[in-house]
Amino acid sequence: MLRHIIGKLALTIAAVFLVNGALTAEEKILHFYNWSDYIAEDTLENFTKETGIKVVYDVFDSNEVLETKLLAGKSGFDIVVPSNSFLARQIKAGVFQKIDKSKLTNYGNLDKALLKVLETNDPGNLYGVPYLWGTTGLGINPAKIKAVLGDDAPMNSWDLVFQEKYISKLKSCGVSFLDAPSDVLPSVLLYLGEDPNSLSTSMYLDKVQPLLMKIRSHVTYYHSSKYINDLANGDICVAIGWSGDVAQAATRADEAENNVEVQYVIPTEGAGLWFDMLAIPADAKNVENAHILINYLMRPDVIAEITNYVWYANANTASFNLVDKEISGDTSIYPDAETKKKLFIFDVMPPKIDRVQNRIMTRIRTGQ
Amino acid sequence: MRRKLSHRLILFLSIGYAFLYLPIIILIVYSFNESRLVTVWAGFSTKWYGELLKDQGILDAVWMSLRIAFLTAWVATFLGAIAGQVMARFGRFRFHSGFASTITAPLVMPEVITGLSLLLLFVSMETMIGWPEGRGMLTIWISHVTFATAFVAVIVSSRLREMDISIEEAAMDLGAHPFKVFFVITIPIIMPALISGWLLSFTLSMDSLVITSFVAGPASTTLPMKVFSSVRMGVSPKINAVATFIVLFATVIVVTSSVMTIRQDKKKQREIQAAMKENLGK
Repeated sequence: MLRHIIGKLALTIAAVFLVNGALTAEEKILHFYNWSDYIAEDTLENFTKETGIKVVYDVFDSNEVLETKLLAGKSGFDIVVPSNSFLARQIKAGVFQKIDKSKLTNYGNLDKALLKVLETNDPGNLYGVPYLWGTTGLGINPAKIKAVLGDDAPMNSWDLVFQEKYISKLKSCGVSFLDAPSDVLPSVLLYLGEDPNSLSTSMYLDKVQPLLMKIRSHVTYYHSSKYINDLANGDICVAIGWSGDVAQAATRADEAENNVEVQYVIPTEGAGLWFDMLAIPADAKNVENAHILINYLMRPDVIAEITNYVWYANANTASFNLVDKEISGDTSIYPDAETKKKLFIFDVMPPKIDRVQNRIMTRIRTGQ
Repeated sequence: MRRKLSHRLILFLSIGYAFLYLPIIILIVYSFNESRLVTVWAGFSTKWYGELLKDQGILDAVWMSLRIAFLTAWVATFLGAIAGQVMARFGRFRFHSGFASTITAPLVMPEVITGLSLLLLFVSMETMIGWPEGRGMLTIWISHVTFATAFVAVIVSSRLREMDISIEEAAMDLGAHPFKVFFVITIPIIMPALISGWLLSFTLSMDSLVITSFVAGPASTTLPMKVFSSVRMGVSPKINAVATFIVLFATVIVVTSSVMTIRQDKKKQREIQAAMKENLGK
């Protein structure tokens, strides 16, 4: 019996080592760390066919998990996809290496205006290449809102959720806020006509907090993903949400044929802009391959396929005509020039402001 | 002697069971839903099973989780049994309480702390001695064994404390070597504890998310990680389909094992009766 158990143990241990050994011995490989389903179904397959580089695709569930791994070092990944505000902080921590643009022949396809905006987070665009982007705006159910507020409801304004006289009535059909202080609070500042990336703590404590405290009892819940299904089911009628998520809710409601219509709107006051960035960790092993994949992802036909699959806008000007008309014509995904001017980018906040933002959000959630 | 259950008891019992099993039944029913929405019924369809079989990402994650859970369960049971034996049988040696509390510490430690500290350990080990090279299945397995062992140790030692020590002493009186006593007497008696320890480790490993997220590396996405990361793009009924398979798998194992135990019990009883008859006949 004992010999039996020991034998089994030795075997399993040997097996584990072999698996690990086999993986490290392989060449022409690339470790890609991204969100789940955040790429078209056949992109990586086609890439492997074309270049012979095998891509190992792993997924993370939050920027925080990614950040922990990057900061701990030796993550083993060659390309990671942080959001822009996280990227900014991580650049300062020195976890990325500069991208060698001489290897990126498709770099010229990128939208110059967006690259310029991104310099707020990454001066000189040295470390990150924009992958997909979106905005933080409002997901609405027009029919339900009309039923509650009447025909003159301010559907395309932050008034809908920040003005007490509207939100107090919308409470009856359900309102959700993102559980993300760094998304919600800047939007409030913008609504108040202030600098959305304000660095003054009194701005948050004296202006943002009172407004949110006043309306907090009308918010059904604070959550960052639940609203997708609830919008699609018609359980809530307005949500502060991310553009791609709301688009997804709309598609789902459509597929379910449950007579729920969901729309995404970028409020006329403007909205926050965020990017998911491709970046290469400083200690990546397959740097060459990482550049080849990043370059591949900047090819207009490739990134257009991805946008068609995930319904997030890309930052590739040359791909615009290859994107399905249904998506490229949708101003909530690809805003027109007029709206674009009103978009602002979420900047990285110093720890002091981070703390204030978090504290306000907690106070609003708990009411204390 | 069978007692008849009163109506009120039956009511409470069914509420309890409904609370435990209704969610699972709903989950299975919705895996056959036509709609992409997890909560809206739109007709019967098996298309999500087809989609699931095409989704290499999820299948890889399931396979990864199963392998890690299997390996974890064996090693954790082995180590946990030894630890339990030491805690319950070796008397009050020096550092006894220190040993007992360090072994059970992972039970009360928040997962985030365990995960982060293991991550830091692995990273610094790699910089200092070059092993483990990178993170992946191996490091996940080590971490899972670490916390699963604690659970097994507690189960085994409490079973050992309940067990009548005089049986072991009798075996030793009759000349059995301590090892022989352990394998021939102790192990069969604590077998139920070992089996439940094995199953518990398997389950704990299958659904560990926080610790795994910290210590995972490239090419080692487990099922919980896959499910949680798909939340951003929306959970699809494919997840229900996977869950249905897992429930099915678990049911088959539980049913076969209980059928086997019942058969063995009956066989044992027949043998005992036969032996008693023989003795009486003399």
